[in-house]
Amino acid sequence: MIYFTELDKLPLFDVKGEYLGRLEDLFVDPSQNALRVAAYLVKTLKNKLLCITHEQMQSLSVRAGQTSVRAGEIRYYAPDEGFLRVKKDVLDQQIIDVNHRKVVRVNDVDFDIQPSDGHTELRVVAVNVGLAAAIRRLLQGFVAKHTIRTITGVFPTKAIPWEFVNLIEPDSARRVRLRISYDQLAHLHPADIADILEELSRDEQKAVIESLDDATAAQAISEIPTRMQAALLESISPEKAADIVEEMPPDEAADVLQEMPPETSAEVLADMEKEEAEDVRELLGFEENTAGALMTTEYVVVHEAATVEGAIAALRHFEGPPESVPVIYLVNNNAVLTGAVPVARILLAEASMPLKELSPGPLISLQAHADGDSVVDLFHKYNLMSLPVVDEKGYLLGVVTADDVLEFVVNRK
Amino acid sequence: MNRDKFRHFRLRLLIFLTVLGPGIITASVDNDPGGIYTYSIAGARFGYTLLWTLIPITLALIVVEEMAARMGVVTGKGLADLIREEYGFRTTFIIMIGLAVANLGTTIAEFAGLASGMSVLGVSRFLAVPVGALIVWGLVVKGSYRIVEKVFLVACLVYIAYPISCFLARPDWSQALISTVKPSFHFHSSYVYLILAVVGTTIAPWQQFYLQSAVVEKGTKLRDYVFSRWDVIAGCVVTGVVAFFIIVACGATIYASGHRQIRDAADAALALRPLAGHAASALFAFGLCNAALLSACILPLSTAFCVCQGLGLESGVNKRMHEAPAFYWLFTGLVFLGALAVMVLSEAKQIPIIVLSQAANGILLPFVLIFMLRLSNREDLMGRYRNTRLFNAVAWITCVVMIGLTLLMAVSALFPGRIPT
Repeated sequence: MIYFTELDKLPLFDVKGEYLGRLEDLFVDPSQNALRVAAYLVKTLKNKLLCITHEQMQSLSVRAGQTSVRAGEIRYYAPDEGFLRVKKDVLDQQIIDVNHRKVVRVNDVDFDIQPSDGHTELRVVAVNVGLAAAIRRLLQGFVAKHTIRTITGVFPTKAIPWEFVNLIEPDSARRVRLRISYDQLAHLHPADIADILEELSRDEQKAVIESLDDATAAQAISEIPTRMQAALLESISPEKAADIVEEMPPDEAADVLQEMPPETSAEVLADMEKEEAEDVRELLGFEENTAGALMTTEYVVVHEAATVEGAIAALRHFEGPPESVPVIYLVNNNAVLTGAVPVARILLAEASMPLKELSPGPLISLQAHADGDSVVDLFHKYNLMSLPVVDEKGYLLGVVTADDVLEFVVNRK
Repeated sequence: MNRDKFRHFRLRLLIFLTVLGPGIITASVDNDPGGIYTYSIAGARFGYTLLWTLIPITLALIVVEEMAARMGVVTGKGLADLIREEYGFRTTFIIMIGLAVANLGTTIAEFAGLASGMSVLGVSRFLAVPVGALIVWGLVVKGSYRIVEKVFLVACLVYIAYPISCFLARPDWSQALISTVKPSFHFHSSYVYLILAVVGTTIAPWQQFYLQSAVVEKGTKLRDYVFSRWDVIAGCVVTGVVAFFIIVACGATIYASGHRQIRDAADAALALRPLAGHAASALFAFGLCNAALLSACILPLSTAFCVCQGLGLESGVNKRMHEAPAFYWLFTGLVFLGALAVMVLSEAKQIPIIVLSQAANGILLPFVLIFMLRLSNREDLMGRYRNTRLFNAVAWITCVVMIGLTLLMAVSALFPGRIPT
């Protein structure tokens, strides 16, 4: 194992023992091999930059390196955006540790030295974020390398295996060339992705969101504070923003659109599918912190004459989020709310049982202009999981679900 | 249509109010007990003759803070983050150690201010300081810091007492205004020292770190940067205006009385006599304690935040103790060491520590300013928001003057014999 800190400024010699210069950076070429150091950047005494390829490197140690060719055969460095630069792109930068679902800052990079038919290869093993690496960075250059190894041996190291490291590259073209994908990230829980997003700057958030699929992006964005949601969605293209907002629950979508300047939210709405846009527009009409603004328009509703069988069919066809499922609402011919049946009751009843008979006691509902506090009071008093919202005529407008009430209460603190 | 217009107006106002804050809070922390005392002494000893320094100081403050706020909005990263990413671990580590030491000294000065304010009300520092430290610690760790911050800010309105007292004292306004715009200079060593002290207490490294992090935390969008800039300018002007009225009030009262000495809070409170009469001491004590508590909250908090960010440790009040141990220990350590120093050490022994912290601030500031200037000129970071040539000229002149003055200040703080007061 050898650390980047030990390799940094390492003196390098050519095959005849002629001094070349000091090691400046290490390049990985992800299009060839994501683990192997493909080239070594060397700064000569005259401040020229040389680029030694991995086949030209004969041997490497913490003391020095030697090439297998003459100095004249080594070419000068020409900038190449396709290279991942260990010092510039990784060291001291923030990365996402997918395994621990965190954003961390890189203190050092760990390599393995491997002989490979006639030359020496460096392989990236891990990035180091621990105290030992920090102390190594501080002491390097002032204290002999083997002494540093002894000292840092006492302290805990914290290494993140390279395969769990997700680099954050705001430039999308470079992201493609460096083959940076956030596939591993997409498998995390949306709430964990949201925590990671909150740690990043706007450009970095953008990089992550743009490379996630719309549904995952929407779920993750739903979990970050509304103000940050709006800023993030504004910074990406209106089409992509529209795709993401479509996937969000309508009430969340309405909240975030409300935070945006009118021109931008209009643009996003225009780019959305007609049906989804209509749902969101209805919600946009309600004052902030009223039952109308808290409610979602995605819920399960059947005619009051339906039976348990019909309810189960409606549930099967329901495409909305699972938090809207616990209660099924009944309406009459005029779409006026007439009943509410908990799904638990439906599951236990005969298929032919009319739903009307399963609707318990007095029906609790609220008008759209009622304030958020009365919503909270009703949830608290009647131990509700969801609450129907109606207009003056009893027409069912939407449903407030428990998760939205919880969010309202937490945000008010 | 009308409704749309109203909505648009309301939105603009809302954006302004949400963006508003970092600059104003920085300004309020700037007027901490150290600041209040320095301005009071300046007015009491030299009347209006130091007023002219306020305009250049306010301008310098605007130039420096605008740079910090702009970097925060454009890069979305704190100053400590940027220094780490561009200048590596060791440089960041040294700067962060400097910042922690300087801010520990300033925190001690805040608690000393609290002790001094409470002593006017007859409360012993052995009661006032530990209770104050517990309040500060509890509010940040256990309570809702956001709400507390607002309460303190509202309490800062107590500074209005100075302008009112000023008007009631009937100062020579024409002379005060002329002194504000017309530079004058006295080759009196304590006059020079006070200029340095006024500069040092007004422009300090912690502000740039705090302001930039606060702007980032607000999540201000590039499009709304104008509002952020106005917030910063407003904050700087408030700092300058408060200083102006404190100096004029002290000039019209203490200086005019011929006594011209400020040894403790009761002396400084005399400036509020025209407004509050016998209640002047209580009013001054209230203002001093409020300023002390606000600063004693924000300084250790922002220090812990920056140090952890720069060194790549978890930080933030929304994290729990076991998630961000370094952050909470650093904050706790700063608060309690600050309070402990005021309780254990006699006033005479506190002075060397406060002097040392002024020196640390003075040594740190040049580095911070140069880093800021270099970072805010980087095209890859700032794009078209990097400094213009004109701005650079003004900023470099400001920085060079600031560096010269603060170095002079640091030297005179460490070797007090050279500039006798």
